[in-house]
Amino acid sequence: MIACLSIPGFSLRAPLARRPELKGKPVALAPMPGARPLIGSCTRAADEAGVRPGMRLSEALATCPRLELVEQDPAGVEEAWEALLRRLEQAGFAVEPAQPGCVYFETRGVERLAGGLEQALRRALEAVGEEWGARVGAASRRFAALAAATVAPAGRALVIDDGEAHLFLEPLPLDLLPLSPERREELSELGVKRLGELARLPGAAVTDRLGADGAEAWQLVRGEGDASVEPRRPPAEIAESLSFPEPVANELTLARALAALVERLLARPERDGRAPRQLALSAKLVGGGSWRRSLTLREPTAEPDRLRLALASKLAELPAPTTELRLELGELTESVGTQAELVRPRGSRLRERLRVGLRQARAAVGLEAVCTVVEVAPWSRIPETRAILVPRDD
Amino acid sequence: MVAHPGDPGHSRSARRLNEPRPALVVCEEGVPTAVDRVRVAELREEWRVDDRWWTEEPVERRYFEVLLETGRNVVVFRDEASGKWFRQSA
Repeated sequence: MIACLSIPGFSLRAPLARRPELKGKPVALAPMPGARPLIGSCTRAADEAGVRPGMRLSEALATCPRLELVEQDPAGVEEAWEALLRRLEQAGFAVEPAQPGCVYFETRGVERLAGGLEQALRRALEAVGEEWGARVGAASRRFAALAAATVAPAGRALVIDDGEAHLFLEPLPLDLLPLSPERREELSELGVKRLGELARLPGAAVTDRLGADGAEAWQLVRGEGDASVEPRRPPAEIAESLSFPEPVANELTLARALAALVERLLARPERDGRAPRQLALSAKLVGGGSWRRSLTLREPTAEPDRLRLALASKLAELPAPTTELRLELGELTESVGTQAELVRPRGSRLRERLRVGLRQARAAVGLEAVCTVVEVAPWSRIPETRAILVPRDD
Repeated sequence: MVAHPGDPGHSRSARRLNEPRPALVVCEEGVPTAVDRVRVAELREEWRVDDRWWTEEPVERRYFEVLLETGRNVVVFRDEASGKWFRQSA
């Protein structure tokens, strides 16, 4: 059986978990700085007051003046999601995360361990914890498992037998299908509003009218979708962060902070000579929200210049001044055998001696004894904002 | 064992360089005549810094570069909001 564990509105639940004072209040996710002013997920209290996700901010506030807005926190969401995935992995599930708040896993291996399918699903819910309001659906196909998880009440599991899958899917709305809103509207105008209605149409006609997306949706509702799970490899990551004494927005400061982070991460002993293939850059924004970008390198590298170059374009996308910058290296791989140097570059011996000296000073005085002066705003009229001291690790 | 990315042990703060340090300044008509109990021999330069007036923490300072009787050159400023005096390398 394939199981799907779903936590609706995870992008809102994660920041709310850190703000218990908002429990039970009408709350919605604020738009990202610089993006269209549309609100994101909202709580049940907001929903009862008439607020809907995707509403314009002004309309939402007019509908519910008591509405509280929570800043989007993609880095916090990613962190909370990673913690939940690790808990599931520790409970024995090999997980394939689809997006924050939705994960698939195969139950077969754990069924034997837990003593049955239902016990295995309960084990998954217990691993996640009650506070997230998770629900699980299980079926022989991924789509049916996702549909079951959507229908199941919070904290419960719903198992769909193979023979009843089409009966179960029939009355459900089209929202579950991976279709664009325009396609869904098109179907609705044609009188197709339920999955069962789509399943009864001839496949060729659906493909002709809606193209490849429609054909895929048609296969899903007929129970012909994917029946496999590709578990992830639990990531081995190392991370470093740098917090600023005051919010920083200028490119030069950010580039220098990034260079310091790259330098520190490459100096970490647990990297053990391995090079990262994946990088994730995140920042805490001045308004209380956060920002995150990930990138995968064509080939793993531990060259600071190449890492900085790869990350610089992401840094330019920062939407607001930041108070903390964080860099994670993921998928660390062994050296890929680059050409060794025939002649040592000039000054390398001196640098090595300096490094040994700094290491001894650090051992004698403390970890933060050795710092680099980083000029962050040399043009500033306020002397104490012109440069900062960044602890060094090398 | 690889540290978890959430490990707070690897989050370190950058520190400001050249933070203002409180100074004991005696002045006449707003101009320093002694800094930390050493008389001022000569007033070399004077300037104002008004910055960040658009934030909740505006900066309003009156800087003086003075030569002390001991021969040392120091820079002091008066924070106009608090009325306190500080030393700082300008």
